[in-house]
Amino acid sequence: MVHAAEVLSHVAALAQAADPPQASSVSTNLARAQTAFSLAFHICFAVFGVGMPWLLLFVEGRWVRTRDPVWLALTRKWSRAFAVMFAVGAVSGTALSFEFGLLWPAFMARYGGVLGLSFTLEGFAFFAEAIFIGMYLYGWKRLSARAHWLTLWPIAIAGTFSTLFIITANAWMNTPGHVTEVDGKVVSAEPFAPFLAATAPHQLIHMLLAALMCTGGIVAGVYAVGMLRGRRDAYHQRGLRVGLAVLLVCAPLQLIVGDWAARVVGNEQPIKLAAMEGLGHTRTHAPLTIGGIYDEQTGEVRHGIEVPDLLSLMQGLSADHEITGLTAVPPEERPNAVLVHSAFNVMVGLGMALIALSLVTGVVVLRRRRRGERPLLPTGRPWLWAAAASGPASMLAMLAGWEVTEGGRQPWIVYGRMRVDEAVTSSSGMPAIFTGTILLYLGLATALILILRRMATGGPELAATVGETSTTPDIPDARPAPASPDTPARVRGDGDGGDGPGTSAPTTPRTDPSSSEGDAR
Amino acid sequence: MTAADLLAVVMVIGLTAYALTGGADFGGGVWDLLARGRDAADQRRLVSAALGPVWEANHVWLIFVIVMMFSGFPAAFGIVGSTLEIPLICALAGIVLRGAAYVYRAYGAGAAGPDHWWGHVFAISSAITPVALGVCGAALATGDVTEGDALAPVTSAFGIVCGVFTLAVTAFLAAVYLCRDAASSPETEHLVPGFRRRALGGAVVSGLLAAALLPLLWSEAPVVAERFAERSVPFVVISALGGIASLVALWQHRFTAARITAGAAVAGVLWGWAAAQYPDLVVGRATVDSAAAPEANIVAMLIAVACGLVVLIPSLWMLFRLFANPEVKS
Repeated sequence: MVHAAEVLSHVAALAQAADPPQASSVSTNLARAQTAFSLAFHICFAVFGVGMPWLLLFVEGRWVRTRDPVWLALTRKWSRAFAVMFAVGAVSGTALSFEFGLLWPAFMARYGGVLGLSFTLEGFAFFAEAIFIGMYLYGWKRLSARAHWLTLWPIAIAGTFSTLFIITANAWMNTPGHVTEVDGKVVSAEPFAPFLAATAPHQLIHMLLAALMCTGGIVAGVYAVGMLRGRRDAYHQRGLRVGLAVLLVCAPLQLIVGDWAARVVGNEQPIKLAAMEGLGHTRTHAPLTIGGIYDEQTGEVRHGIEVPDLLSLMQGLSADHEITGLTAVPPEERPNAVLVHSAFNVMVGLGMALIALSLVTGVVVLRRRRRGERPLLPTGRPWLWAAAASGPASMLAMLAGWEVTEGGRQPWIVYGRMRVDEAVTSSSGMPAIFTGTILLYLGLATALILILRRMATGGPELAATVGETSTTPDIPDARPAPASPDTPARVRGDGDGGDGPGTSAPTTPRTDPSSSEGDAR
Repeated sequence: MTAADLLAVVMVIGLTAYALTGGADFGGGVWDLLARGRDAADQRRLVSAALGPVWEANHVWLIFVIVMMFSGFPAAFGIVGSTLEIPLICALAGIVLRGAAYVYRAYGAGAAGPDHWWGHVFAISSAITPVALGVCGAALATGDVTEGDALAPVTSAFGIVCGVFTLAVTAFLAAVYLCRDAASSPETEHLVPGFRRRALGGAVVSGLLAAALLPLLWSEAPVVAERFAERSVPFVVISALGGIASLVALWQHRFTAARITAGAAVAGVLWGWAAAQYPDLVVGRATVDSAAAPEANIVAMLIAVACGLVVLIPSLWMLFRLFANPEVKS
């Protein structure tokens, strides 16, 4: 959804000639840019709202069962980061629901009812999430360890259902059906129309896997960076292991879902597929073009690597399968193929790199297990660098994927039914609104990054020199907080999140063998 | 009663829940902004502790109302989106900044600027949002909305008084709630007199502003005013009795009772307005009937709401029970 390149080109065009006739297209582009920016901002946090509870369920579950302070330390750290990201995700999500009306009043006026069931159910899922997050974050002392762990279940399930509901709305915009319109007014709509959208199933699974990959990748990345800086204790190793396991299991699955997605898009939105693949002219024996830049003049991709017949084979299992090209529709109905093809390449390229990492790691882990080597996960510097890069790579791939979905639908806001420029606000204030939004969000993002960076580098101060093969327990006690540099100030506004289980839970003695379980396994 | 009417009632219930919970959270921010004197730091801590576990859940009521509006009455949402952009954007900026600043202060540990800066952002944005939402409500009643004139809603006297009234009401509610919170623990008992004074003051100011609003309602929103006189008297009585009973209960240090009466006073205002507004959503532009989505969609939403409430109400009850007494860290 990030139309950064487009924004830049439009800003440049604005500077050159801002004559009145262009006003409506300027306002459309600003509204698109603002929607893209706010959605991209929101989704970077929303993925953690979806993925993090599942990871927390695992680590806190391990703590409840083993009472191993390392698991507790991971739980505490992640829950704090989760608290901040969920709150920012929640308020930026509210901003979106306002923006639908502020930026796209005609779209909402015509189709709001169609999306009603999706958004109503999403509202309740969000409600459940917010309620149980309140209990989870502030209930350390007021709930038993097991009850506290149990509050994660509704959070995780509701977060996953939120994705389902929101994705159905987006899928309906891509493949709208089950709605009857007369003279631009919806006269009847099946309530389940969004759930019946042809693109809903693959979009949902693609996004859920992406959310897990982003969460796992960023978690792994944080601990990989810590280990690169020499903190090779059980805390970092386990954090890395959990994050990486999630990412590397999901990555190959994503390939299968991606292939499925491309086939559905080929059937339902052939022009989007053409833009993704940079295919100008309709043809059989269509090649798959990897990389390169689409040239609008010739309808060809320049500097790409062509694999003959592959696109036809992938779409129709036959080289004779005909693939629709962009020129099948008039120019004003074509998406920006330069952008969409590039974004698609970024997503696929990063996805492939992550799958490769997944396979290589899998092979190494199996070999180490056969030889009885520990730890199973390779932790040499190149491996750690790869793990550190996997987080940003997942996020970038996810954003690029959304650019493909949304950019590839252009110029339609509802595919084949309503164009983006018909939906946009007529407000003359768009430039001011746009500038204000960007500044506000950039400010909030900067502050958030500073806070998360501080959190990420805090950690329980373990003996930094302990080698990775060490089996000595290296956490002084069950309280992760005391030695961390952010202790004095953070206890203040933190409700009772600061020292709950540390004081109420049985402390694992230093010599308890369970605390070295992470290394010994 | 049609499905659309029922959905409108559900919206008003959602709005009432938002005013009584989320509204009071904004009011808490107002008292953070106005905290003065020796106990200022303790007052801010109590506000923060009272909000912590519940503000996100309370905030969802607003999303609930917005979703009901854009799904159930999409045409009205289109009008609201294209005419009330200035107050809506102010409300939105307030909501985003309030939430972000709250967690940045609670979890930031100074990594992104001193905590008290975020405290000020939290307090100021908490005060902006109710004013902006009050202005929006006033515009729906006057119908003084035109696509070309974005400033109209924020320059009308009725709109501004409505905004200030909303702010006063949220502050009143918050002070009443905080009396009970402060009284629940010996560590915070010394804050009771301060919040009690603020609650009494808030009640008086809200009452005066309500009295000032009535003549403006007649001059600026005659359509609604006429129906107000016909239909809303019972709600006005509930509201007035609630207000008086709150003063009595506060005076007698009966803070749990004061919560109920204060809630009734605020709900009375909202329902009185809603009854007078019906069947208009935006006076002169959209009615419940004209703006409604196809019936089948509204029925589906109502069923979804009913199912959702089955899950929601026990969960909310658990949340509020668990955190009935906020815990303040010194």
